[in-house]
Amino acid sequence: MSQLRENESKTLIALGNAGRRLSIDEIAHSSGLDHSAVMRAALSLESQNLVLVKERRSTKVVLNEEGKLYADQGLPERRVVKELVKMGGEGDIDSVFKAASLGESAKVITLGWLNRKGWATIDKETKKIKLLKEPIEGSDEKLLSLLKEKRFVTLEALDDELKDAVEVLKRRKIAEVRVETERELELSTAGWDLVKRGIETVKEVSQLTPEMLVTGKWKETKLRAYNIQAPVASTWPGKKHPYLRFLDDLKKKLVALGFKEMTGPIVEISFFNCDGLFMPQDHPAREVHDMYFIKEPQHGSLEQYRSFLEKVKKTHEDGWKTGSKGWGYAFSMLEAARLMLRSQTTAASARMLISEDLEVPGKYFAIARCFRPDVIDKTHLTEFNQVEGIILGEDLTLVNLLGVLEKFAKDVAGADKVKYRPDYFPFTEPSVELVAYKKGYGWMEFGGSGIFRPELTLPLGIKVPVLAWGLGVDRLFMMKAGIDDIRYLFSQNLDWLRRVEMV
Amino acid sequence: MPTVEVDLEDLELLLGMQLPREEEKLNEVLSYIKGEAKGLESKEIRVELKDSNRADIWSVEGIARALRGYLGLEKGFKNYQIEGKSGVTVQVDPKLSTIRPYIACSVVKGVRLTDAAIRQMMHFQDKLDQTYGRNRRRTSIGLYDYDLISPPLRYGVAKPDEVSFVPLDFSEKLTLKEILEKHPKGIEYGHIVQSFPMWPIFMDSTNKVLSFPPIINSNDLGHVTPSTENVLVEVTGTSIETVQNTLTNVTLALADRGGKIYSVKIQYPYGKIRSMTTPNLKGVPLELGLDYVKKVIGIQFTLKEIRELLGKARYDVVKASKNSLVVKVPCYRVDVLHPIDIVEDIAIAYNYNKIQPQWPKQLTIGGLSSESEFRDIIRELMVGLGFQEILTFIMSSPEVLFTKMNVKPQRTVEIANPRLSSMTCLRNWLLPSLMEFLSHNTHVDYPQKVFEVGYCVVHDEQKENKTCDIETLACVAIHSNASFTEAKSFLDALLANLGIQYTLKEENHESFIQGRTGKIIIEDKEIGIIGEIHPQVLQNWELENPAAAFEININKLRQHILSKP
Repeated sequence: MSQLRENESKTLIALGNAGRRLSIDEIAHSSGLDHSAVMRAALSLESQNLVLVKERRSTKVVLNEEGKLYADQGLPERRVVKELVKMGGEGDIDSVFKAASLGESAKVITLGWLNRKGWATIDKETKKIKLLKEPIEGSDEKLLSLLKEKRFVTLEALDDELKDAVEVLKRRKIAEVRVETERELELSTAGWDLVKRGIETVKEVSQLTPEMLVTGKWKETKLRAYNIQAPVASTWPGKKHPYLRFLDDLKKKLVALGFKEMTGPIVEISFFNCDGLFMPQDHPAREVHDMYFIKEPQHGSLEQYRSFLEKVKKTHEDGWKTGSKGWGYAFSMLEAARLMLRSQTTAASARMLISEDLEVPGKYFAIARCFRPDVIDKTHLTEFNQVEGIILGEDLTLVNLLGVLEKFAKDVAGADKVKYRPDYFPFTEPSVELVAYKKGYGWMEFGGSGIFRPELTLPLGIKVPVLAWGLGVDRLFMMKAGIDDIRYLFSQNLDWLRRVEMV
Repeated sequence: MPTVEVDLEDLELLLGMQLPREEEKLNEVLSYIKGEAKGLESKEIRVELKDSNRADIWSVEGIARALRGYLGLEKGFKNYQIEGKSGVTVQVDPKLSTIRPYIACSVVKGVRLTDAAIRQMMHFQDKLDQTYGRNRRRTSIGLYDYDLISPPLRYGVAKPDEVSFVPLDFSEKLTLKEILEKHPKGIEYGHIVQSFPMWPIFMDSTNKVLSFPPIINSNDLGHVTPSTENVLVEVTGTSIETVQNTLTNVTLALADRGGKIYSVKIQYPYGKIRSMTTPNLKGVPLELGLDYVKKVIGIQFTLKEIRELLGKARYDVVKASKNSLVVKVPCYRVDVLHPIDIVEDIAIAYNYNKIQPQWPKQLTIGGLSSESEFRDIIRELMVGLGFQEILTFIMSSPEVLFTKMNVKPQRTVEIANPRLSSMTCLRNWLLPSLMEFLSHNTHVDYPQKVFEVGYCVVHDEQKENKTCDIETLACVAIHSNASFTEAKSFLDALLANLGIQYTLKEENHESFIQGRTGKIIIEDKEIGIIGEIHPQVLQNWELENPAAAFEININKLRQHILSKP
């Protein structure tokens, strides 16, 4: 047999001492436990077959606020009688009521009760009231004082006279009646046996306190066993955003592969976002449905890039010294200074290529917020992150570009197989699309890449090949996180952020 | 990305072979031309073509032409012959020199145009107009029933209300001006000519109007039907080269349908150019160094191999020496600007997947930017303080940034072409993004503590891009007992761990409760603000719990730390 907990012992002892069935309240009263502790003990004892729990329905009578007031001060008619006695059995209505501290509102009802109970007569002519007899305590008053003493009474336990009085108080709207289920406990045979053998009470506490530790009292204390299966309140840790964590992880891998991080501004000059990348100024992809333009000011300053700008202009127009035909149109310097929101991370690469900090050979990457006027839906965002990078150095070739893509697919994304497809970007030639196969996911487009065109690199003063790549990180993350809606990347759902798993 | 509707059977007919119907296999074939098939279940599939410069393959005829090389059905340069002169001349008016100076024409006789082929032709014409023709600004195309026309022809000008004709798909005559007002194409493309006092007009010797370039053809003459046998092709535009290139591509597509090509003489009144015969179907020689091929691809091919690969890509080698080749580029390959374009075609013909990839040998040292490193420290501390990181958009609106935050509107970096009313400008502070986030989560367990390290953008005349990106940290704690005191304890913890001592200066700010707001000051420099959110702001966001927040300029914080000895 399992050892009894402190509260269970106390409950059994209370039942043993009483030698009869007891209500929960009675046990609480005699054991000093609180009501809920007795309830918990009762359920546990019942499961151990030591007590029987009986349910009994009872009707409780209690006073409402007005009733409690009457219980304290007496019924209004009784108070009028008391004043009349003082006045010698007769008096003026107004002055009697005033003496009894009864307001105008109570007058009609009180006079009604005096009349009904036959305690006094009222002369409407003279507005006088006359006591007929000094009445004895009525049953309603008896009930009132009983309720004042006991707070509540059980209807079933009252005699007929008081039962009638309950009806009277109910009608006067000063008492309420509630049907309640009362639980009573009774010792089972096994319970009696245990009580007769004597119960050893061990002192139990739930919370270990500093005081117990300091005084060493914990040694004599039994720490109550908990129901460890019971549910507990939720707690939410501080966490990084899952998508940003994914990007952090990607950054670490890129750094390990020898890539340095590069940056660029959110509001870009067309020169870096387009022109410097050999995108012709009249290209359809440079119109309002593909880029966000700045309202005011419309143009930035290209003063410090004058020498590059001249060469880029000539390259667009006739190829300059790059060996290209060029696009064959009149290049506008003003258009090249147009301000827009960065629409591709390649803008950061263009800035890196003309930076004084550029190292050859070198590997660089950027994770940057980009903006395009797409409608936001399951697969499109108008604001998104792009991961892009460049590798520059002597003797870099298409063979190396494919090597970079293979490494990304296998080491960074854990793909099993890769395929390369011819692709197109205005600023790379050759261009390659990476398609990777991952078990459970199938083939998926994974990123685009290429070798920067000579029309891009030569005007920017770069004489070595530049391999450029971009990764479809959004899709990669969605796959990892098991989501099919790109809007989760900028989720406004705190519950999801709290619950999303970190592994 | 141009998309071409292709009837697979039509393509097979032009190719002369069967194509795989399985998506993956078909896409393997189409990958030679950077294409991908969509909607395979229907008779007419869509082929998405990634290359926005290869105008020659935006038609089923062009696709077939290119694929015949890669599939080994035909090799090398395809020689299209001009059968002879059509005898047609076009006289150009000198007044066009500043309006739309160039025109090129051809006559294609004996074409067999089915309904499907005509539909194809219309799509092709449309794609050329849109993409290569830059929405008809650079070039636009007209096709006419040659048998209804009386040459010689005249490419001239007319005043907006001087000439009238029945435009395509209309039944009544309209003046040029009325076409711009009433015809859908006039409304769409009218802006190209509107600013000129005189507009281009293309007429025959009987003064019948062929078209009003670049807006609309005549309904009588400019209507090609299955009964049309002989077609006049006309292209007008602003660049003589693109006008000719476009003419070439339309003419060849018709020739691929069995037509015979005849030339047209154009008589120009401008200085250097006097007279010209179009179309020009000659190949263009381009020198290609063998070293260059190896330098780009990384594979040493033999001359024989390179010849073979060039043949698959439909180039001819006209001269070969030890170190270099002269390659004949087909007239329709308008995308070839540089030898690099030919090198890519060699690599594609070889097949990327046959290449053995190699990770570059160059050793480089990687590293995060100092901004990233510092940002990560901040994020780690905020997570340690129990805050959930969130990610929100940089684009915002005055409603979110100011109205709901109970502050007066400020100047922001505004977007000229916004798509959504909720994204019209760039945020100049971060806290509103967090408040917006909280307003979406009132049903979620409290307490809630969220933070973001994000960019804000403000005007800055000194900068080349006239703006400045400010990276800031903002955090909010919201729950029934949230208070200034709590927020300050977080701020204390954060800055203490960064080794920074700070002071607070009382501040009045309408987003916060008066008397519970402070500027965060480090060595006389203001770096942020802290306070308990104003009840009006909470109410604006329909939040029912008190909240306290702070926002700090991370750039300034980082600079302060860097400046310390």
